Amino acid sequence: MIETILNRILVSIPVLFGVLFLGFALVQLAPGDPARVQAGPTAPPEVVEQIRAEMGLDQPVIVQFGKYMERLAHGDLGRSLISNKSVTSELAAAIVPTIELMVASLFWSIPLGIAMGTLAAVWRGSLFDRFIMAISVAGVSLPIFFICLILIQFLGVKFPLFPFIGRGGPLWTMEGLSHIALPALSLGMIFIGPVSRMTRSSVLEVLRLDHVRTARAKGLPEWQVILRHGLRNALIPVVTLVGLQIGYLLGGAVVTETIFSYPGIGRLAVGAILSSDFPLTQGTILALAVGFILVNLIVDILYTQLDPRAQKT
Amino acid sequence: MTATGTEGGDQAILPEAPAPARRRAWWRALLRDRAAAPAMLLLAAIVLAAILAPWIAPHDPSANSRAVMQPPAWTERGTWEYLLGTDSQGRDILSRVLYGTRLTLLIGLVAVGIGGIVGSALGLLSAMYRRIDPWIMRLNDMMLSFPAILLGLALVAVAGTGVLPVIVALGIASIPDCARIARSIGIGVMGQEYIEAGRAVGLSDLAIFRRYLLRNSISSIMIFLSLRFGQIILIGAALSFLGLGAQAPASELGMMAAQGRDTLLFAPHIATIPSVVIFVIVLCANITGDALRDVLDPRLQT
Amino acid sequence: MKKSLLYGAIALALALPASAQEINIVREVDSNNYDPHKSTARSASEVLFMLGDTLVSLEPDMSTLTDGLAKDWEVSDDGLTYTFHLKDGIKFCDGREMTAEDVVYSFERWIDPETNSPVAWRAGEVKSITAPDPKTVKYELEAPFSELLYQLTQSFATVVDKNNVEELGDDFGVTGFNGTGPFCWQEWLPRDRLTMTRHEEYSWGPEFYENKGAPHMAAITWQIVPEGNTRTVALMTNQSQITQYIPAIALEQVQQAPTLETVRSDAAFWTYFIGFKIDKPAVEDPAVRRAINLAVDQEALARDIMFDEVTPAYSYISENALDWDKSLEDKLLRYDPEEAKRILDEAGWMPGSDGVREKDGVRLAPVAYIQGGSTWQGLAEFVQAELLKVGIGMQIQTFDATVFWGKISTQEFDMFGMSYPYISAGDALNLYFLSENIPTPNRMNWNDPETDEWLAEGRHATDDNTRAEAYAKVLNKVHDAAVWLPLYHEPMTIVQSAELETVVPHNIYGSGLYKGLDLKFRE
Repeated sequence: MIETILNRILVSIPVLFGVLFLGFALVQLAPGDPARVQAGPTAPPEVVEQIRAEMGLDQPVIVQFGKYMERLAHGDLGRSLISNKSVTSELAAAIVPTIELMVASLFWSIPLGIAMGTLAAVWRGSLFDRFIMAISVAGVSLPIFFICLILIQFLGVKFPLFPFIGRGGPLWTMEGLSHIALPALSLGMIFIGPVSRMTRSSVLEVLRLDHVRTARAKGLPEWQVILRHGLRNALIPVVTLVGLQIGYLLGGAVVTETIFSYPGIGRLAVGAILSSDFPLTQGTILALAVGFILVNLIVDILYTQLDPRAQKT
Repeated sequence: MTATGTEGGDQAILPEAPAPARRRAWWRALLRDRAAAPAMLLLAAIVLAAILAPWIAPHDPSANSRAVMQPPAWTERGTWEYLLGTDSQGRDILSRVLYGTRLTLLIGLVAVGIGGIVGSALGLLSAMYRRIDPWIMRLNDMMLSFPAILLGLALVAVAGTGVLPVIVALGIASIPDCARIARSIGIGVMGQEYIEAGRAVGLSDLAIFRRYLLRNSISSIMIFLSLRFGQIILIGAALSFLGLGAQAPASELGMMAAQGRDTLLFAPHIATIPSVVIFVIVLCANITGDALRDVLDPRLQT
Repeated sequence: MKKSLLYGAIALALALPASAQEINIVREVDSNNYDPHKSTARSASEVLFMLGDTLVSLEPDMSTLTDGLAKDWEVSDDGLTYTFHLKDGIKFCDGREMTAEDVVYSFERWIDPETNSPVAWRAGEVKSITAPDPKTVKYELEAPFSELLYQLTQSFATVVDKNNVEELGDDFGVTGFNGTGPFCWQEWLPRDRLTMTRHEEYSWGPEFYENKGAPHMAAITWQIVPEGNTRTVALMTNQSQITQYIPAIALEQVQQAPTLETVRSDAAFWTYFIGFKIDKPAVEDPAVRRAINLAVDQEALARDIMFDEVTPAYSYISENALDWDKSLEDKLLRYDPEEAKRILDEAGWMPGSDGVREKDGVRLAPVAYIQGGSTWQGLAEFVQAELLKVGIGMQIQTFDATVFWGKISTQEFDMFGMSYPYISAGDALNLYFLSENIPTPNRMNWNDPETDEWLAEGRHATDDNTRAEAYAKVLNKVHDAAVWLPLYHEPMTIVQSAELETVVPHNIYGSGLYKGLDLKFRE
């Protein structure tokens, strides 16, 4: 068991390394001279040269990469060109809101998706099944920004139940909850479709297994068969799906945060790109990618826990 | 990374090698599908309209008129001159939607094309030469940890805003998923007896690749890509919506929706119409992809 | 809309910052920094007026000068020496008493070449600034400067704290700002929000404010919301209580909402224009610049894009501004697309295969840099479409406000979108057309010794006629050269919650709330 987990972690290391290299390459490939960018457009050439030396830009790329890794090891991602704050502190301020948003969206969408998928599987072929499946296809086909705009229009303007600008505070406060409602509702919406579809098909598959058939033959009510024998096994692929969908969710978060002026990593990333703030761009992209790797690592470990078959491979 | 599932959902479980007999009848089955047939027809109509945009668009999509924010024709104040109304610059929305659909579809097609070609080449080679497999798969995992929209952001940061960086980013982002699928399909095909037979009669690697591997994998890969297509369109539109993709005076559906945001209170049709068009395109693509998979994949038919 | 009012009450309960004396101001763009000497953005000034103070202040009529940090002042007969007498008991936010030395330090930093301030010229030709005693500031000039007192009301003349500047270095106005204003800096999250809290000991506000003590508001948040629609709805649902950034399209609707109140002042000199870099290919040709002026229908722009909330502009400053030359009226370039085409044909710019004109291998496709946000996007797209009709393929490049100011101090572009405040012809012309102000704010690269000479004549004038005549010559020359495409003059319109006492709109540097001393909830 521990061996599997360790092995899994080991596998992630080169991936992580690759991601860090991509982050480095990003700034190397950026147009314009980073020293000039740092110095500002009106700075005299001597100042630019001085900054170039300070930033180590006059050294070979490999040395620069080494220095970059060294700084990373110290948690130093440079300073934002705009706010002049350290990128690490900007990221630290934005990471909690983003995690809150993720958690809040998953909190309602996963249980609902699982419930919808299970019911659809139980009543397969029924009108309800078709209805749920239609909803889930429609759900994955809706542009996220459209969901956000509709929700603002109805729950923000027509029936102004929730605010839709910024973050009200930590999740456990009333202000925080009311502010996160609309973003989390929007973001969760894109999750309902895949989760309910995956649950439905894996429940159907499990129901065909022998011991489930036996249970049913013994005359147990259908819902007991599903709850006792079906659902647990059926959830394994759902967990995997959630892990893989995190990337998609992060993408959705970028749009959602921007529309709701929600101060998370996604909005920070878009702002950084639009203001050519390369250190901050690099930092946000690294943070998002590392987050994605971590979530997948956790999902994989969870997966080996849930599914005894996976431990052998 | 785990071997099942993809970003797109549950479409990962694909046939090992579809039986040729089934395949001949696939389109008949497809046409019998009550959801897929209209979806395919609608999608075909949209694609056709987009291709014909320069000939059927009633107005110049970037020319402003003095009639701003006209509502669609069927509403009280609408006119038949502007069937879907005009935007806040007085541009004809119908014409912009036609041209916008063209650009949106183009972005999706080219990106899926790049992802499909490079991804399946990598995946199939992985399946054929097991020695290079671990390397390719490691590289794949690495790329997989850059979700599409992130890659889009990164590329736009480096290359500046525009359609091209978005296409390239979405293309690259499609590679790993596609490579993974192609690999698992390819491994199935490589296990078949006819490969052994082909080897036995001394066919070259290239011949085996072309005659057996590619031919027997291509339809399954195409199904996967058709399912992928919808997602790519959504991400592309989202990037344009954020102002990172298409730029004025071009029209792109996501960008049109973003422009309509400012007048949402007073002229909701400006943002709604392009959003609905995106929705319809992606919905049709997804339904068609689902149906294709169901028809071609006996395992999922329940 | 009616329904929304019905549910408004629910929103109030949810969204209001719980009856506290706190308001949220939404605005479209952020500034690049909040150092008074290093930003020319309105978004910096409107915050700095609240965080800091100036020696003299301007009344809402935009012409009467009144007290600020100085209770009164004298000007010598030759117009060379200004003596300011400071009020008593002025303190910085950190509690330290402000003295004349702080004023001297601030002004010296302002004009110090090392500071490299884009607004240094606004201080005039300074001979020396000294503090004969802790309550007196002596401002001596090499040559008279007819506008000095007006310039000293601007946010660029804000008094800063030396210790604070030195301690923060590059972070001054970024991570902190210690001022003497009615509000104190709390935090700035770029592109998101800036928060400030009440300066409890404040009691030295200008006379014209009713409130003589500390502000009524305990805290103010300046929230960036780039989309006009969202800003409007934020006001309607009471997530924001006041703003001057409601898009023109929404104003009519907003005026009908009983929870909101709209106040407007026409004593506002704020003009939108697109400038040309006159030494760049294509736009260096005066025929091209004239044609662009003729091709754009400002009346349609004011009507269709700005919903008649603005006045179409054909002149570079408002015709009501001090020293405007009335004889120019007939010479202004007005909408005439046919004439535009004729001029272009005549100058040898012939339509290419895609309809965009070319001449000697140069395509008539100038690049315009504009600031992000819905206002400029809408304006630029309008101009782009108008120009395309006469065969000019203007290209738009949009930059976030945080990088825009850096970008337009380069030489990379052919045209740039800008809007600016002024109080007189002299203020406007000295800002944009002095050769020493190249590359910024003289982004046109207008380098003309004659202009420099006339501008100096106007600045040094000690009587109204000489000054008006000198500036008239400059006005004629630059209008004749068509170095700008004027778009419209904008009044100051503030939309506020009806729960707030009605504000008196100000317009100093386009900052409608000025010092915010009278911002107050109704009792």
